[in-house]
Amino acid sequence: MVRKRIAITGLGVFSAAGKNVPAYRGALLNGRSAVGPVDLFDVSPFSSRIGAQVRDFDPRDHFDRRTADRLSRADQFGVIAAGEALTDSGIAGHYSSYDMGVSMGAGAGGMFQAEFWLQDILAGRRGHPNALRGLLPDRTSTSIATIYNLAGYQGSITTACSSSATAIGWGADLIATGRQKAVLCGGSDSLCVLTYAGFNSLRVVDPEPCAPFSLGRQGISLGEGAAFLVLEGEDDALRRGARIYGYVLGYAIVGEAYHMTAPEPNGTEAARAMAGALRSAGVDAGDVGWVNAHGTGTPLNDVVESKATRQVFGNRAEEVPLISTKALTGHCLGAAGAMEALATIIALNEGIIPQTLNFRGVDPECDLEYCHEGLRRSDATVALSNSFAFGGNITSLVIGT
Amino acid sequence: MITMASEYDTIVVTGMAAISAAGVGLNPLREALADGVSRLTPVPEEVLGETGHFWGKATSFRAADFMPPLKARKFDRASLFAVVATGMALKDAGLDQAGLDPVRTGIMLGCGFGGIANSEEFLRGYFARGSDGLVPMLFPNTVPNAPASNASIEHGLKGPNVTFVQRFCSAESALFMAMHILEEGRADVMVVGGVDELNPMQMRGFRSMGQLSRYAGGFGEGTGLLVLERADHARSRGARIIAGIGEARTVGLLVPGTEEEGVARLLDGQAAPELVSLSGTASDVAPLVERLPDVPRLETVQLTGRSLAMGGLALVAHLLTLHAGSSGLHLAASPEGPYYAFRLQGGEPVQP
Repeated sequence: MVRKRIAITGLGVFSAAGKNVPAYRGALLNGRSAVGPVDLFDVSPFSSRIGAQVRDFDPRDHFDRRTADRLSRADQFGVIAAGEALTDSGIAGHYSSYDMGVSMGAGAGGMFQAEFWLQDILAGRRGHPNALRGLLPDRTSTSIATIYNLAGYQGSITTACSSSATAIGWGADLIATGRQKAVLCGGSDSLCVLTYAGFNSLRVVDPEPCAPFSLGRQGISLGEGAAFLVLEGEDDALRRGARIYGYVLGYAIVGEAYHMTAPEPNGTEAARAMAGALRSAGVDAGDVGWVNAHGTGTPLNDVVESKATRQVFGNRAEEVPLISTKALTGHCLGAAGAMEALATIIALNEGIIPQTLNFRGVDPECDLEYCHEGLRRSDATVALSNSFAFGGNITSLVIGT
Repeated sequence: MITMASEYDTIVVTGMAAISAAGVGLNPLREALADGVSRLTPVPEEVLGETGHFWGKATSFRAADFMPPLKARKFDRASLFAVVATGMALKDAGLDQAGLDPVRTGIMLGCGFGGIANSEEFLRGYFARGSDGLVPMLFPNTVPNAPASNASIEHGLKGPNVTFVQRFCSAESALFMAMHILEEGRADVMVVGGVDELNPMQMRGFRSMGQLSRYAGGFGEGTGLLVLERADHARSRGARIIAGIGEARTVGLLVPGTEEEGVARLLDGQAAPELVSLSGTASDVAPLVERLPDVPRLETVQLTGRSLAMGGLALVAHLLTLHAGSSGLHLAASPEGPYYAFRLQGGEPVQP
């Protein structure tokens, strides 16, 4: 059976790197990092005090008070970015609500607000129930489905940092198999004390803006935001005259079954995910122009991902840049896969390979091309986008134009 | 309508496991289903500072029965449930580690309340003592995928590994995707179900949000897992087939004004079942319940409590009750959606 081609017909983002697609595109083209001081909560106890925080954000600019109070910060980001993607797609009125779904990846969800509740309780005060309303990460998808009347599939994948990449692959499947006409796919996550303190306690946060694949890198820079893609069958999209940005050509998900936090050191499992994604897409490794890496900037990740990329592309590995946009966006955890899928589709449309920012020197263990010196022009039509997570959950997406 | 192409012959259940307030393993759940006596117990006064509440704690579960205490310490409670139950389910399916092809075996779980306990403990340390109070070891298991991923690590499952949180339909969300993964041939065996843990701070949170009165029946914890395979794979290895899972349908919302269409997408054309299981808040969804035939209805809420990923236990309970050759319907719902309907067939399906 020939698999239906899944078109990307709408884009939306709300993040530190850009509060809409044009701004995000600008950051990508100009190599403008969003990593800076964090004042969302007290970061003074930590050795790293920076991150890609969404600045100048007043929920009341986007929601009435009642709605704003009911939504967590992650919900708010998600609803805003989803709105941009849906508007951009022009999909309204083309399908029954029951034929349109939402498949998203989520991370800490409303933890940022829930932390106020917990502090109140620990101090012997009554916590305000509103602070707990969005605690569960599924709340964002339900909010989006309700607000935009998407009555079809509604699901939240919660595999930490690979969540939203998996949600995009799964959303494409729902359309390819005829179960949905359109699926809004993406992810949303917000900074919170839990993840900020957590990654700091594991000593994997760089005190300086993260420097993926560079010598002397010390870890991630955390970020926050939301990104969404509207997916539809190519046939339906063409029929209604939609603008097609590109395609979700395939994906693979694998479990490393190795360790909760450490990647399998040889890159074998990551390579299996990347190769599996290409197989699912029916794309030859020789047709891939570049790879949007998970590229967190931790000493371990970047070496393992380089090894995996070499295994997949063999002799051609040096010709397939492995770049990371994490220095631009921060590591947006539950939203990371979607933020990067969006960067990938924008870059393919712009004919560029994005720059990996913050070069500090050549790491002999990272021996591929990382576009540290600047973005490159490229006529590539296919790119991979990798997402690795706690638990060894790896997802690789194949995106093409 | 979202439907899976699967009819009973496509996806089959070859193993099951359960841990709940009823006890550890399938037999205690079977007994609870037979006698119908609630296994919920009073919530100790120190938890909420008041009496009169009930919960379904899996009190007979002791990690030390299954692993050395030092090893058990590295897991959160939900991960312990998942690690132990995955072993039980694989054993029930006749799949030990030697007979299992790691890259062709995956796991998909719903996990509603997992990670919350570790998150609270981690944050409590930080809020009490600043960075000196941070316990790094707690952090990795704050993610909802900790149970499925820890189970994958302990049992060497390298296939697709996904966790869902989707209200009271978290386990059904996992089942829905896992069926697709098997149908597409991305894996041969999938461990599927739900896992939840329940702790005192969660109970205080439920009270704060008015959930203790809304769901006065009581919250629960535990896990219910199924081992799924394509029928051809199960037959080729001579596996005992417990049941078939047929068509699966879901809608996300019942939109005011067009509820009928949503319900129709879930129920239209379904052959009359002989047993219906209702999970999550399905029994509260009038337009759904009104359309059900007058056949026995199975609800685990009263027996073992309510939780976000209770669908795993509800499915196991359904299959423990469903006679060979009988057809069942599993319905799950959450207050604001989604809604799921799965057709089940007891025993080995007739080969076409």
